[in-house]
Amino acid sequence: MNANREDRVASIVAAAFSLAYLVTAFFIPVPPLKQQLGPAAFPKAIGLVMLILSGLYVYRQFRGGVKEDEERAAIIGAEEKIESKADLKTMGFMLAVMVVYAFVFERLGYAISTFLAFMAGVFYLSRRHLVRDTLIAVIVSFVLYYVFMTVLRVNLPAGLLKLLGL
Amino acid sequence: MDFWNNLTLGFGVALTPFHLLLAFIGVFLGTVIGVLPGIGPMTGVALLIPLTFGMNPTSAIILLAGIYYGAMYGGSTTSILVNAPGESSSVVTCLDGYEMAKKGRAGPALASAAIGSFVAGTFATLMLMLFGPWVAKIALSFGPPEFFSLMVAALTLVTSLAGRSLVKALLSTLFGLAIATVGIDLQSGVPRYTFGNPELMDGFEFVVVAIGLFALSEVFINLAHMSQAAMERLSIRGSLWLTKEDWKRFTPACIRGTLSGFFVGGIAGAGAAVASFVSYGMEKKVSKHRDELGKGAIEGVAGPESANNSAAGGALIHLLCLGIPGSGTTAILLGALIMLGLQPGPLLFQQQPEFVWGLIASMYIGNVMLLVLNLPLVGMWVKLLDIPLYLLMLFIVLFSFLGVYTMNNSVQDLYLMVGFGVIGYLMKRVDIPAAPIILGMVLGKLMEEKMRQALVISDGNMMIFLNRPISLALLILAVVAITNPYWKPMGRAIRRLLGGNASRA
Repeated sequence: MNANREDRVASIVAAAFSLAYLVTAFFIPVPPLKQQLGPAAFPKAIGLVMLILSGLYVYRQFRGGVKEDEERAAIIGAEEKIESKADLKTMGFMLAVMVVYAFVFERLGYAISTFLAFMAGVFYLSRRHLVRDTLIAVIVSFVLYYVFMTVLRVNLPAGLLKLLGL
Repeated sequence: MDFWNNLTLGFGVALTPFHLLLAFIGVFLGTVIGVLPGIGPMTGVALLIPLTFGMNPTSAIILLAGIYYGAMYGGSTTSILVNAPGESSSVVTCLDGYEMAKKGRAGPALASAAIGSFVAGTFATLMLMLFGPWVAKIALSFGPPEFFSLMVAALTLVTSLAGRSLVKALLSTLFGLAIATVGIDLQSGVPRYTFGNPELMDGFEFVVVAIGLFALSEVFINLAHMSQAAMERLSIRGSLWLTKEDWKRFTPACIRGTLSGFFVGGIAGAGAAVASFVSYGMEKKVSKHRDELGKGAIEGVAGPESANNSAAGGALIHLLCLGIPGSGTTAILLGALIMLGLQPGPLLFQQQPEFVWGLIASMYIGNVMLLVLNLPLVGMWVKLLDIPLYLLMLFIVLFSFLGVYTMNNSVQDLYLMVGFGVIGYLMKRVDIPAAPIILGMVLGKLMEEKMRQALVISDGNMMIFLNRPISLALLILAVVAITNPYWKPMGRAIRRLLGGNASRA
């Protein structure tokens, strides 16, 4: 099943991460000064326990049955699982918007990059109220920028606006 | 009396116009966050931490605590009217609240949720006031070994209550501890896991991780799993007020919920969601009208809604007196306080009385504000649901970027935040709880420090954690918390083994 495959991948990723973390812990330089429990001991312990647990996770996914205690989940009020069918296109698009937003945040400046990121989201997600949404985008980017600069005196990157002398 | 002096001091702090305004903004935003589905108190507090930069810790906590307990109030509104819980501690409120609304009794349902929340919130604050100093005094006698064991117990208790799979929850906690080891080790000056990146020398910024894990991942989840079905909203018909019969049924449920919630949150240290489920389970057993539960009984609203507020208030005892958070949201509060240069713990009551008592006084005031905000103005909050989901999500992205960037003016923080957002989303997909990460991250450094201090005292002998009675008791508690799901099957196995022997003999 799909959900099970995801769990298997996750268990392997967890094991790989634990191993990498543990191995790196052995390369933490130990200062010449003798100390009770140097800087590496705590990470080593964390890494070891993490590796054991993720080993158990892997084992359960591939060998043992996966037993989930729904009764216990109901008592403690565990959050509901999300259905595994995801709209990966939307997810990928939002991720791309965020990465590009971070990339241009200082280069274009807060106001311009925010306006563009917001409008990109609006165009992709819903174009039914373009006028209203464009107005909102202007408020949260340009207007907010001036409020921050003049009223709150918090510096946000000006970017291109500086070139335009604004 | 000392007590009255402290309270006067507290109200002196809380009643300044600036702090009144902050308390109001806090409970207002908290209600908004509680009402909006998809934004829980954790997301809300994490998102709004950047607002407190530059404030002194007292002002900051008045604002953040307002958001925290305000969200507990707001969550019930959408549970009752839309059958969509605004946050996890209001899930049970749907069961009876929505049924009541369907029968045209939305008014009494909303009123009993708000009044129950008010009673419980005030009670929890009172308890915090009475028992806080006492707990702090006990904790003052704790040495490093006790504190280490206390943290181990807190981590395991919370972990054992998070999610369906214990292995996954523990992995999540350890991942948090691992994150906490990144950066320069303060005691030896050695960089760990920085890979030569100068910005990682100070470790991962707490807000970056928290906003990524809780705010941005929420954006991914909501947009990638957008449900197309329009939510059916029930209107409020008739009176908001409770009838005499309602009061009769409301009062005992409210008292039970308040007490059990305080026990769960304030003594056992579990979160508000657990408290609401415990309370509902209790109503099912002891209520006079238990057969009506699930079909629109007022007890099913009054109990859990009182319980979650009482637990939320009670959890502050752990946070303020011990410096140990008992849930994801209080862990975020603790992280915020540490960022503001304050280390909660037993010394807080002595060294920062205006902080502690100011907070307590502001909680009394905030609870009254919430009652006023939530009862007559309930119609206004429902209108919030008209905000389209995509706009809401875009706002979250925007505030996440704005908040994280203004903290250090660092673009790398933005990339890291997005990275943690993706991690949070993937974890959600495979049902690994994210709250333990925050807990591990907040406690990690302190835990390591206390462990090393303890070993300096004992000259490297690990037995120091077992030789001291309090420390030993706390460690036993931790073991019990972790192993108790396995007791039943183990007991069964042993019985089978013994039974098998008996039949053979």
